[in-house]
Amino acid sequence: MKIMDFCKVLILLSVFWVSAGFALPGKVLIVNSDNTVFRYETIASEFKKVLQQNAYQWTEFNLNSHADAEAELKQLIQQENPVLIYCIGTKAYSLARNVASNKKLLFSAAINWRRLDIGEGTYGVANELSSAQEISLLRYFFPTIKTIGLLYNDKFSREYVETIKKEALALGINIINQPINDTQEISGALNELLPKIDMFWIISDPVVLSSKASVQQIFQAAQQQKKPVYAYSEVFIEQGAVLAISADLATIGRQSASLALMINEDKVPEGTVQNPAGSTVTLNKCALDALRFSFNQDALDSVNKIVECDK
Amino acid sequence: MIKYLYTLLVGVLVLNSSAFAAAASNDDLEKELAYLAAERQVVITASKIEEHVDKTIATTTVITQSDIQQIGARNLLDVLRLVPGIGITQTQMGWREIEVRGVKTLTSEKVQIMLNGHPLDHNLQNAGSGWVYDDLPVDTIKRVEVVRGPSSALYGANAFLAVINIITQNAKDLNGVQTSAGWGSFDTQQYRASWGKQFDNSAEAALHFNFTDTNGINSPIPADSLSVQGQPSSAPGRSQLTEGRYDLEWQLGYQDFKLDGRYINKKAGTFFGAASVLSDDRTQQDYNDYFLRLSRTWKIQDKFTVDTQIFHDFYSADNRWQLAPTQFFRTGFQDTRTGGEIQANYHISDTQTVISGFSYAKEQQGNLIDELGGDPEHLMPTLSSSEERTRRRWGIYIEDVWDPLKNLRMTLGARYDRYSDFGGTFNPRMGFNWEFIKNYSLKFSYGTAYRAPAFGELSLVNNPVVSGNPMLKPEEVKTFETGIIAHPVAGLTTQATYYHSAINQIISPVSGQTTILQYANNGSLISEGVELETRYDFGGNLQGSYISANHVLQHSTQLSQQLADVPRHRTNLTANWAFDNTWSSFAHILIKGNTLRNPSDTRNNVPGYALFDVGLLGKNMFGQKVDISFNVYNLLDKRYYDPAPTSLNFIGDYQMAGRAFFGHVSLKF
Repeated sequence: MKIMDFCKVLILLSVFWVSAGFALPGKVLIVNSDNTVFRYETIASEFKKVLQQNAYQWTEFNLNSHADAEAELKQLIQQENPVLIYCIGTKAYSLARNVASNKKLLFSAAINWRRLDIGEGTYGVANELSSAQEISLLRYFFPTIKTIGLLYNDKFSREYVETIKKEALALGINIINQPINDTQEISGALNELLPKIDMFWIISDPVVLSSKASVQQIFQAAQQQKKPVYAYSEVFIEQGAVLAISADLATIGRQSASLALMINEDKVPEGTVQNPAGSTVTLNKCALDALRFSFNQDALDSVNKIVECDK
Repeated sequence: MIKYLYTLLVGVLVLNSSAFAAAASNDDLEKELAYLAAERQVVITASKIEEHVDKTIATTTVITQSDIQQIGARNLLDVLRLVPGIGITQTQMGWREIEVRGVKTLTSEKVQIMLNGHPLDHNLQNAGSGWVYDDLPVDTIKRVEVVRGPSSALYGANAFLAVINIITQNAKDLNGVQTSAGWGSFDTQQYRASWGKQFDNSAEAALHFNFTDTNGINSPIPADSLSVQGQPSSAPGRSQLTEGRYDLEWQLGYQDFKLDGRYINKKAGTFFGAASVLSDDRTQQDYNDYFLRLSRTWKIQDKFTVDTQIFHDFYSADNRWQLAPTQFFRTGFQDTRTGGEIQANYHISDTQTVISGFSYAKEQQGNLIDELGGDPEHLMPTLSSSEERTRRRWGIYIEDVWDPLKNLRMTLGARYDRYSDFGGTFNPRMGFNWEFIKNYSLKFSYGTAYRAPAFGELSLVNNPVVSGNPMLKPEEVKTFETGIIAHPVAGLTTQATYYHSAINQIISPVSGQTTILQYANNGSLISEGVELETRYDFGGNLQGSYISANHVLQHSTQLSQQLADVPRHRTNLTANWAFDNTWSSFAHILIKGNTLRNPSDTRNNVPGYALFDVGLLGKNMFGQKVDISFNVYNLLDKRYYDPAPTSLNFIGDYQMAGRAFFGHVSLKF
């Protein structure tokens, strides 16, 4: 009997220790693909603010500051034993997945997250807004649009483009997608694509948008053919995009932090990838007027920023 | 109302509204382009047809480069002996038998080895793909995938009991120069140099060179058929299994084209010899083998790609066997296989992919050498024991991998092959993988496979003992297997598999009319068993450490009798302990059950044994550029034996290596 009692006490103590362990906030390891990149650093900064407010500890590891990042990261994970690794950017996620596949991983700022190797215990905040919501807004702004074209690279954006096509079809919009392997193919692809479409959509494809020259090439060709351009980021408004719906970077950082807190409390199903919660809608009325392209005036209620022509 | 809904929708999207701010500046564009450039550094190409081990219907074991380093493997055989269901034993001639699921044969012809997806069964005379590939150097290997069970529905001939696919490092993996050297017992030495580079114009190149040399284990051979009669003989003596080999591999790519291949020259002595007389060092085996493959993937549409390839395989043997102290026989031949394959891959949806293909190959054998005489340097031509021969074969196949539910994968496939000499054969494969509870999956599969008769079995002539049979049909196997794979807690993987294989039309020598024996399709056997595997990877401070175990219970019967020379059970216990980010130690225990003899063999059973191997590995030292390992095999110097055939029962069995050492240094530039 004494042994049984002893076992019971042991079990009770174990339950207490385990519960106490869960109640304590764990340490988070932030792996940043490159802290000199504005998007990564903005997200990281907002993420840390929320952790600080919630008395969480964290350690930062910037891949750009380490010659042999893989070995050093592995060593750091051994030393710190974090409860969660927050990976900012695809490079950070890929590396963390390689060296710590048995850790809980949270990612953000990774282009087209569907191409990633998502395993058990992986969570994320997508880099792109929900394409269904984007297309709904596009239709709301431009009810006459029937066909939208886009350029993409298969290695980086195939899954994202497939999602866009599927969502667009459900809303009665036809997407014509033209794959390119190299920036040298942009000109030819645009010549082929632009005559067939009502609007051109710039997605966050790193091959299509590899330089300023590529961006200029796209806008010049669109202007020549009098096709409006819709973009995923407001940075393209100055180039001549008529509409941009941008995911808000600070919100992605805060949203990731909220997700991290919930993951630590086991409140989130594994495999959860959230769409960015915050966005900014920018309408370039000047460019629309220049193109004499009409839009639904009622939609102005939804706009955060309107760009008028300089007088 | 619609306006209200859209306003609501935007309300959800818009949380941050510093409204009417100035448009983003040029500086913002540069920041965005810098972000895209950072993202561009990482390309992830995930072929949908490449299945995760957990999701495939096949019973698969994957050994990674890291595992190979920790094992301290000297060659491919050291890797394979850790795989559940696989055993390695020594043969009289010097080759090793790869036993799979309780079935083994002299030339391991029921196992298909592939290099980067290319089949290596280049020896058309005797079949099998182990001839120059069983002791393949492992320094350049990235991954070994072992699929147990029939795979002819995908790969065609000889994917009968298992497929071993060896994936080597490519340009991206190397990204510079890597060299390594290893030294060990039995005067073993290994050297390797590799170079790889990806160029800006989408070209890439990887080159590997390996050199290996060993004097062999010098196993004591107490007697041979001459010594037991009191006649002059090399016995008692020692095995003369010296081995030396050069390997050169290349992988060149430009845009969607790829040219790859491997050349191997291997020279070896023998373990006992070709006859019942112990050979001295004048038995020499000389093999040359290469393949050259040009491939291209064509993207027709986003969801529709076509893979094409043409290839040329070459294999030559030029062997001099000692039949008696002053009698030698030289035999040689050259085999080629030239052909092509076209495979269409159609991604119907995110949940369904269909592949379909057609292959054609022409197989030829020529340049026969048959010489006999008393002076090994001056042999005289004699009647040829094999024939120059040509055959053509084509195959057509289709496979559908479909996930009707998120937790259910179904695979259905079939292949038809037709040969100009023995006709056609049809082989289906089907199964499912159902994750019935999260982290618990149930597998079921059924498939058939065939083993094409080798040229030697079809047309062996002028041999007083055994002759070929041009009427042979392929061997057939029907396999049913089911299993459960589970991840009960993070880091822990367990798997249990039951299999049942029925092998029919076995090609084996039976009593003949013009010779003592003649090849015929004769008899069948049943192989069934259970494979249990588990592995736990530690986290936290013990990241990189793991323990694993696999245990196999197997029962192979022919005419209701347990097969000789294969154990009823085999166990592997391994542990890897990572002290820190640099140093780790490895321990392995192999426990093999005893093996029965043939009914006509009066010797006692071959006793089972347990072997204990240990190793120490230091990685990423001296500026992350140096890896060092030191391994001790059979640490306790256990004396153990592989079974000798009944025809050599007077020598007892083959004594295998005692305690052996191997040290290895690898450098990266």
